[in-house]
Amino acid sequence: MGSVFSQTMAVIAMNIRSLPQRIWMSLAMILASAVVVAILLAFLAMAKGFEATLSSAGSDDVVIFMREGSAAELNSVISRDQVNLIEVAPGVMSDANGPVTSAELYVVVDGIKKSSNTEANIPLRGIQERGITMRDNVTITAGRMFTPGTNELIVGAGILQQFDGFELNANVRFGKNVWRVVGVFSSGGNVFESELWADAKVLQSLYNRGSSYQTMRAQLTSPGALETVRAYVENDPRLNLDVQTEANYFAAQGKQLGYMAIFGRTISIVMALGAIAGALNTMYTSVAERSAEIATLRAIGFSSLSAFAGTMVEALVLAAMGGVVGSVCAFMLFDGLNASTLGGSFTQVVFSFELSPDLFRQGAGFALAIGLISGFFPAWRAARMPVVAAFSKVA
Amino acid sequence: MKDLYLIYKNLTRKPLRLFLTSFAIFIAFLLFGAVTTLKSALDSGVELSADDRLVVLNSINFTNPLPVAYVNRVKAVEGVSKVTHANWFGGYFQEPTNQVVTFAVDPETYLDVYSELVIDPAQQDAWFRNRQGILIGERLAKINGWKVGDRIPLSSNIFSQDNGSSTWDFVVEGVFTGNDEQVDTGYAIFHYKYFMETQTMGGDWIGWIILTTTDPALNESVARAIDDQFANSSTETDTSTEKAFNKAFIEQIGNVGLIIFGVVFMAFFTILVVVGNAMVLAVRERTGEIAVLKSLGFTSPRIFRMVLAESMLLSLLGGMAGLGGAYVVVAGAKDAMAQFLPNLVLGTDTALQAFGFMVLLGLVTGLLPAYNALKLNIITAFSRR
Amino acid sequence: MTALFDLKKVAKSFVKGKEKISIFDDLNMTIEEGDFVAIMGPSGSGKTTLLNMLGGVDQPTSGEVWFAGERIDSLSEGNLAKWRANNVGFIFQFYNLMPMLNAARNVELPLLLTKLSGKQRKKNVETALTLVELADRAKHMPSEMSGGQQQRVAIARAIVSDPKLLLCDEPTGDLDRATADEILKTLQLLNEKFNKTIVMVTHDPAAAKYAKRTLHLDKGEFVEEGMAA
Repeated sequence: MGSVFSQTMAVIAMNIRSLPQRIWMSLAMILASAVVVAILLAFLAMAKGFEATLSSAGSDDVVIFMREGSAAELNSVISRDQVNLIEVAPGVMSDANGPVTSAELYVVVDGIKKSSNTEANIPLRGIQERGITMRDNVTITAGRMFTPGTNELIVGAGILQQFDGFELNANVRFGKNVWRVVGVFSSGGNVFESELWADAKVLQSLYNRGSSYQTMRAQLTSPGALETVRAYVENDPRLNLDVQTEANYFAAQGKQLGYMAIFGRTISIVMALGAIAGALNTMYTSVAERSAEIATLRAIGFSSLSAFAGTMVEALVLAAMGGVVGSVCAFMLFDGLNASTLGGSFTQVVFSFELSPDLFRQGAGFALAIGLISGFFPAWRAARMPVVAAFSKVA
Repeated sequence: MKDLYLIYKNLTRKPLRLFLTSFAIFIAFLLFGAVTTLKSALDSGVELSADDRLVVLNSINFTNPLPVAYVNRVKAVEGVSKVTHANWFGGYFQEPTNQVVTFAVDPETYLDVYSELVIDPAQQDAWFRNRQGILIGERLAKINGWKVGDRIPLSSNIFSQDNGSSTWDFVVEGVFTGNDEQVDTGYAIFHYKYFMETQTMGGDWIGWIILTTTDPALNESVARAIDDQFANSSTETDTSTEKAFNKAFIEQIGNVGLIIFGVVFMAFFTILVVVGNAMVLAVRERTGEIAVLKSLGFTSPRIFRMVLAESMLLSLLGGMAGLGGAYVVVAGAKDAMAQFLPNLVLGTDTALQAFGFMVLLGLVTGLLPAYNALKLNIITAFSRR
Repeated sequence: MTALFDLKKVAKSFVKGKEKISIFDDLNMTIEEGDFVAIMGPSGSGKTTLLNMLGGVDQPTSGEVWFAGERIDSLSEGNLAKWRANNVGFIFQFYNLMPMLNAARNVELPLLLTKLSGKQRKKNVETALTLVELADRAKHMPSEMSGGQQQRVAIARAIVSDPKLLLCDEPTGDLDRATADEILKTLQLLNEKFNKTIVMVTHDPAAAKYAKRTLHLDKGEFVEEGMAA
């Protein structure tokens, strides 16, 4: 008999090699681990994708002004007077063309969602040249920019993908107004791609908004200037506004689907309990079926450690295989999957599931945990299997 | 049945295995019950909404307003019976996160159209008389601990008053309930006139119009007549049944919901497969015993029934416990979730569906080993050992 | 004594792979009611196959097996099961008790196939256990009993429904000498006092001595026949 190590390796090798003979038991164990990992990844990828879509939209040195307590752009109102006051606020950047600010309108229109063929809310943002240049990464991928003062709009790539009727050069009717799609824009995958953009002045007149806007964005002179701006707003009773960085605003909106991550983890953990029970059962059966074999090895002189390790490694290998299967399935089914749901502003947010390496690490951890737990106790039983079992007939 | 004891003993011979198997089944049905309930709660808003009520919305989107004059013009359309209107207030109590679903309505006509709301006549009169009065639903009252006579400040995340404040003071004049347990009572309604006079946006506009027709068969033609009337005006309308509107709104949650439920059901079935496999293996271990029973003169069909009954019992044992667990979880979550999902109840059809799956699990996991037992040749069974 | 078993021109063969293996070609034997026959022979001689055919769990390829004037080799599976329940008690080398049932419940098993009431069943179980001197162990699980005790429970199970025939497959193969003798004495008692016909397959010449006669089976044929002293 060789060293403890070589004994152990021998038993492990024997167990692993016999797995194909115990095909159903092995498959059950792999399946149990795979499904838990796949589900965990699905939920995390969904939450992650949604969050990424929103959080990448916000900038740290752009602040967003909204009416106090309005929480979302849709609810806010900002008067022309307030816009004027903000333009001259300390901490707000100006350049040769004047203050770097953008007063915007945000109305909701109906579009027909491809997936369900029903009407869903799409934001139509009234914006001006300044607002577009303030946003990083915005590029016109097809067609051209809308001409100010006309019924032209440009459509986000996400809208184009999830909704019917917004193709380039299409005429789109909202109420009595007809708009013409003249361009498609991309913003690097963030939430702005779930919007339609048109000239703010045109929207003001078509939607009877007079000279008022809904939100205002302003470039800060430096990231630290937020407090200066905030103090200015608080000291002026005419400015009953909330100020926050755009990054914070979108981060808060991104949390909307945070419940999805919590829900997903909860479900995965509960499900993992069920799967572990199934896996434990399978491993116990596996040990019971081979009790004579295990006892015989022990009788020959193999250590109980090798019996323990043999079963433990078997469980880990099966769980790890399940983890790989689950990850691959999740990747094929979900990575890049486009979905849209109701976001914080009561409008559709188009996003993609995102399976990052970090998520795979979490999945791998989960799989190994399942292997550890479902292997340990049966391995313990195998290690303590009395040698005499080799000599008695098992009923 | 005389074999019951034998079945029971077979079932309980390995307590650990019995526990693990029924636990896994328990988990599967716990999830199934809870998630199906969640799903049907999401759908129930649709099921409950009256099919004979129509809603008239701005055709651009329901967040865009309608002129108040439309109310009378709609009333004049042939086939229209009762008409009322509502405005979304965007209410919250103290903290913006503590949302209170609040509508500004025309009191008399609103209660007329929403005839399923039940309210004490004295409270109703008091509310009609007090312009600052607010009528709150029973569930909303319970969540916030409000009662008749309370003064409650509600803020709006959309509107402001002339003095710049976005908080309105109301007096609770009444609490309404529903004539059916499933009627949503999680919202509050107050006087439209009070709202219009105090909010700064000015103008006489309303959020949407709700109406009933003299005959549900007329719904479609009435809806068309209304939309035709406003076609090519400055504000076009889109009229549909309340049910269709709610359905479209739920659809907005979109394929995300679909994906979640898909994933959970996939998991549910996988657990059943894993458990089923273990159950089949467990019976296979007993080949020798089954052979002995046969040699004692137990007939094959009898053994078939015993094996099937055992897996059926096991499936029902774990499954019913899981369903019970789901019931408890749902009941526990009901209050916490009441704000979002008022109809969180584990319904009979969910229970029946779960029961169906339990029977199916019992059958599928029982049939194969039972069939094997039926076909088992005593000789080969003995010589195999 | 009348003939309980009559085997006529029994042949048994099976196909293993491409090979046809023949166990018996032309086996003829008669067992009288009240007989106690030991069947001996080397491994592979066909002892167990013969026992299985007598017990109706295996069927001959050709030939006839008659039991008390009834041909059993052509009965359907269901009818064979009924026949076994009424006429045969099995005793195995490894006892084959149900591990999850206590002694009394194990003995009761064959009675579940009868129309007896619960009370009646209980009474019969008690009688059978008393006969094998295990009345005080009725509530014990098989795992709590010695091999000899388990085998006596198995005997009680075999006789509880009062069959004419007891078939024993190496009943003492797993037991020490002293215990084996006890078991064999019990069988002898059943044969002599209760007129049970017993067919016992064994390796052990000492065990065979308890039988009234011994048949030696070799390569599917009886080679000599001797009466026990």
